[in-house]
Amino acid sequence: MGNVGTALTNLKTNFKSPSQRRQRLGLFFVLPAVIFTLVFFIIPLLITAWMSLFNWPLLGKHTFIGIENYVNMFSDKQFWSSLWFTTKYTIIVTPCIFILAFILAMLVNLPMRGVSLFRTAYFLPVVIGLGASSLLWVWLLNDRVGIFNRMLMDLQLIKQPVVWLGDINLAMITIVISIVWKTAGFAMILLLTGMQAIPESLYQAAMVDGAGFWAQLRFITLPLLRRTFALTLVISVIGSYLAFDQFYIMTRGGPFNQTITVVYWIYNNSFAYFKMGYGSALSIMLLVVLVLLSGLQLYLLRGEPDI
Amino acid sequence: MFRRIFIASSILLIAAFMLSACGPKATPTEVPAAAGQAANAPEASGDSTPAVTLTMWSRDSDQVLVESLVAAWNASHKNQIEVTIIPASDFVAKFGTAVAGGAAPDIIAIDLVYMPAFNAADQMTDITDMAKALPYFDKLSPSHIRLATYEDKIYALPFSAEASVLIYNKSLFKQAGLDPEKAPSNWDEIYQDAKKITALGDGNYGFYFSGGCAGCNAFTMLPLIWASGGDVLSADYSTATLTDPAVKATLEFYKKMWDEQLIPEGAKVDNGSDFFNAFQTNKIGMLGTGAFAISSLIANHPEIEYGIAPLPGQNGGTSSFAGGDEIGIPKGSKYVNEAFEFITWLYSEDVQLELYAKNSQLPVRTDLVENKYFEANPAMLTVANEMAVGRTPYSVKANELFNDYNGPWETMLQEAIFGGEVDKAINTAQENYTKILSQP
Amino acid sequence: MNTTVDSVQHFGKIRHRHAGTRKASYYIICSILAAMFIFPIFWSALTSIKPPLEASASPSTYFPTHLDWSNFKKLDEYGMGLWRYVFNSTIVALLTVFGSILLSTLAGYGFSRFNFPGKTFLFITILAALMIPFQSILTPLFIILGKLKLQNTLLGLSLVYITFQLPFGVFVMRNTFETIPRELEEAALLDGCSSFSVLHRVMLRLGIPGIVTVAIYAFLNSWNEFLAALIFMSSEKNFTLPILLVNVRNALYGQVDWGALQAGVTVTIIPCIIIFLLLQRYYLQGLMGGAVKG
Repeated sequence: MGNVGTALTNLKTNFKSPSQRRQRLGLFFVLPAVIFTLVFFIIPLLITAWMSLFNWPLLGKHTFIGIENYVNMFSDKQFWSSLWFTTKYTIIVTPCIFILAFILAMLVNLPMRGVSLFRTAYFLPVVIGLGASSLLWVWLLNDRVGIFNRMLMDLQLIKQPVVWLGDINLAMITIVISIVWKTAGFAMILLLTGMQAIPESLYQAAMVDGAGFWAQLRFITLPLLRRTFALTLVISVIGSYLAFDQFYIMTRGGPFNQTITVVYWIYNNSFAYFKMGYGSALSIMLLVVLVLLSGLQLYLLRGEPDI
Repeated sequence: MFRRIFIASSILLIAAFMLSACGPKATPTEVPAAAGQAANAPEASGDSTPAVTLTMWSRDSDQVLVESLVAAWNASHKNQIEVTIIPASDFVAKFGTAVAGGAAPDIIAIDLVYMPAFNAADQMTDITDMAKALPYFDKLSPSHIRLATYEDKIYALPFSAEASVLIYNKSLFKQAGLDPEKAPSNWDEIYQDAKKITALGDGNYGFYFSGGCAGCNAFTMLPLIWASGGDVLSADYSTATLTDPAVKATLEFYKKMWDEQLIPEGAKVDNGSDFFNAFQTNKIGMLGTGAFAISSLIANHPEIEYGIAPLPGQNGGTSSFAGGDEIGIPKGSKYVNEAFEFITWLYSEDVQLELYAKNSQLPVRTDLVENKYFEANPAMLTVANEMAVGRTPYSVKANELFNDYNGPWETMLQEAIFGGEVDKAINTAQENYTKILSQP
Repeated sequence: MNTTVDSVQHFGKIRHRHAGTRKASYYIICSILAAMFIFPIFWSALTSIKPPLEASASPSTYFPTHLDWSNFKKLDEYGMGLWRYVFNSTIVALLTVFGSILLSTLAGYGFSRFNFPGKTFLFITILAALMIPFQSILTPLFIILGKLKLQNTLLGLSLVYITFQLPFGVFVMRNTFETIPRELEEAALLDGCSSFSVLHRVMLRLGIPGIVTVAIYAFLNSWNEFLAALIFMSSEKNFTLPILLVNVRNALYGQVDWGALQAGVTVTIIPCIIIFLLLQRYYLQGLMGGAVKG
């Protein structure tokens, strides 16, 4: 906070030259976004942090309890279990999304005819809402009315319908597939933006120098994609950590409560057990985890790409 | 080109902005309701008080009944009701947030098991005097009244009634060589009947239950425990009694049927949204269900021959879970009297018979249960009678104890029936129940 | 997959002998992938035009015996009818898209081209909004909307949506502007342009792919969002499409209407696909035009 204070003081006293004045203009450009963030994110966040210091039921009176919520968090087995599960899920799903997205981006980056058709096809699942997509998959995987079971049985690959969401491993696989299906297209588009910004001349020069496919990938594509890749990765990881809908809708946290993510646990605490104060504390903890995680990712992926 | 896009976007944007601002505000005002509802309100002769619009929230499982009631009220009354249907699973979240934000509606119709928690948190208007002044107050569904009472004050009244019963497929019974008029009256009979029906093959199964739905199984399994002389909570609802032998017996009964594959595999993951679809495929022998089943079969599957019987205990005896929604007036509503007028209207004989009974909905007045519509549809009579004697657990922790998909009740069912570890499941649940009950 | 790798590797040096099979294998691979991506959606759309009994048949049927629009009609029978909710969703989506583009472009420009004190701090603050789920701040947000007299308004909902689009939007626009060489800008400034008109004339044109990305994402998120829409709207007339779909699905207890679900999914997807196809043109143009012209 002191940083901003000093900065503001500097603003007032040190701006003399036109170029410095011009730099200050930047503040006005970012101001609208900052105001929105302040009103609709920072202030609610501060209220949430404030609520985390209370025993604050969803309905009824609240009482101040200081950091008791945070202390209780440490002995909350489900919280740690959820954190671990969410991490595991993120570790599994992120590479799947990225590898597929990268392959797709490479495929549609070629100047072939019909490429825009393929691009649209790969992007299609992205346009469905996550809730609707989860229900779609519940339906597809259903043992009575789902088409997957029907097709597998008709192909004689299974004898009876499989209850996909009833077994932890099958459930995880199918949920991961459904999420990869739904998000790879978007990651593809983001990577594509980055790829398209790389000048063709670099590849041509490399080929003249005798660089093959993998060398081009390693020395041109990947380094120049670093910024885009970082953005996409951070967003993807955060999204996975905040996963809720798919587990709420597809497995309801089961089987045997093994698929309860952190946000699911926050939701349960706040709205099913009416413990909003504790839910708020969990939220703050999650935020801290994500800020650290994102910072780590951006730090590891920092570096100016030189074109 | 840019210029054109810019101008077009600006126009669109301004239009959108202005249109969006045309939304009604949260708090009820004295402006006429939206088009379509106000159009039908006749002028009350000689009455100079302005018409008010009341806001009412109801969950989606009830929407057909609620919409018909509100439409009938709006067509014949000056005061209008604007009803909003909310997905059941998010109802409490929405209500809680609304209360915190000062935007609670005038009337809510809420699952009765939530009443104790709402009342303990002082969220509802005290309507004790108005309720007791109703002429047929003692005929109203006893379970609803009990759940709506907190520290001797009444905060809600019955809105819709439900009771759990056993539904069985008469044609499957016939096919399996069973007497279609003889419903099973104890667990062994259920088991034997289920076995014979499953033996028919061709995708037929003897029994079904939603393996992934906490509330559904409270609705249909607690009566089995009760009829066998046990309970999961003590008589004053303050102690957990999951170690009661009736509980273990019930779990083992279901487990036996599951192990012998008398229940479809998919039941394991059914979170309560598909179980009646299963029955309506005409391939399920028996199922625990409620009155809603009857109206659905009449409307959508008249070809299914079904029978209704009370849920039996291990060796006979019957019991039922009396459920349904209560209607109440959240605290802070400006229109308590007007809202109560609506509630009173609901209980008029005309409404109870023509809008409830005629549409195969249970009347909430026990004195109107015997009526001409139910004479023609005796299954409804069975359910109604069960409701009158049905039990309902009373707890401010009802949501955590019975409705929570990840809570001890559902976990116990899953671990015992699907995981096969009955004793461990019971002990874990008993511990967790005790923990929950000991929290303030 | 090796075939693809090989085909791409040799692409630059066109070997006419192998060009035919390389091309063919490319198209086959791409088509198989496309089929996998499209199939669930295609299947949903197909089911939505089946008669309701067939839509929930067990085991599942393949093709409809005849075309039946009952599932779609059902969408119109609940609440205030389908079109009201489509209208609400459209308003919210439009406001969110424009607001997101406006704020993200301005802020992206500011962060990319200017160096002011507190820059990093503000950037991180805006980004942090990504890291909190709606569930956590629903109640405080609702209270704040109340104080601003924006409860139960589409405008209020849109403003909230815009705020949560900002992390992605600002990040994308900043990245986009970073790739535009400063020489262009400096030339314009030397010619006497103000910073604002530099943004308007120079950067915007070259920042199209970024803007389109922001627009698409903003549209999709606001069109499909369920929880905030449900919680912040107190009356049915302000509900958006996702809420209607849940109510239609769950109309009857214990009997999820599979046919209506598919109809809902199909109806929801169509505008999104149209938007994507429309914007894709500009996107492609922008990409081909090149943010870096050397």
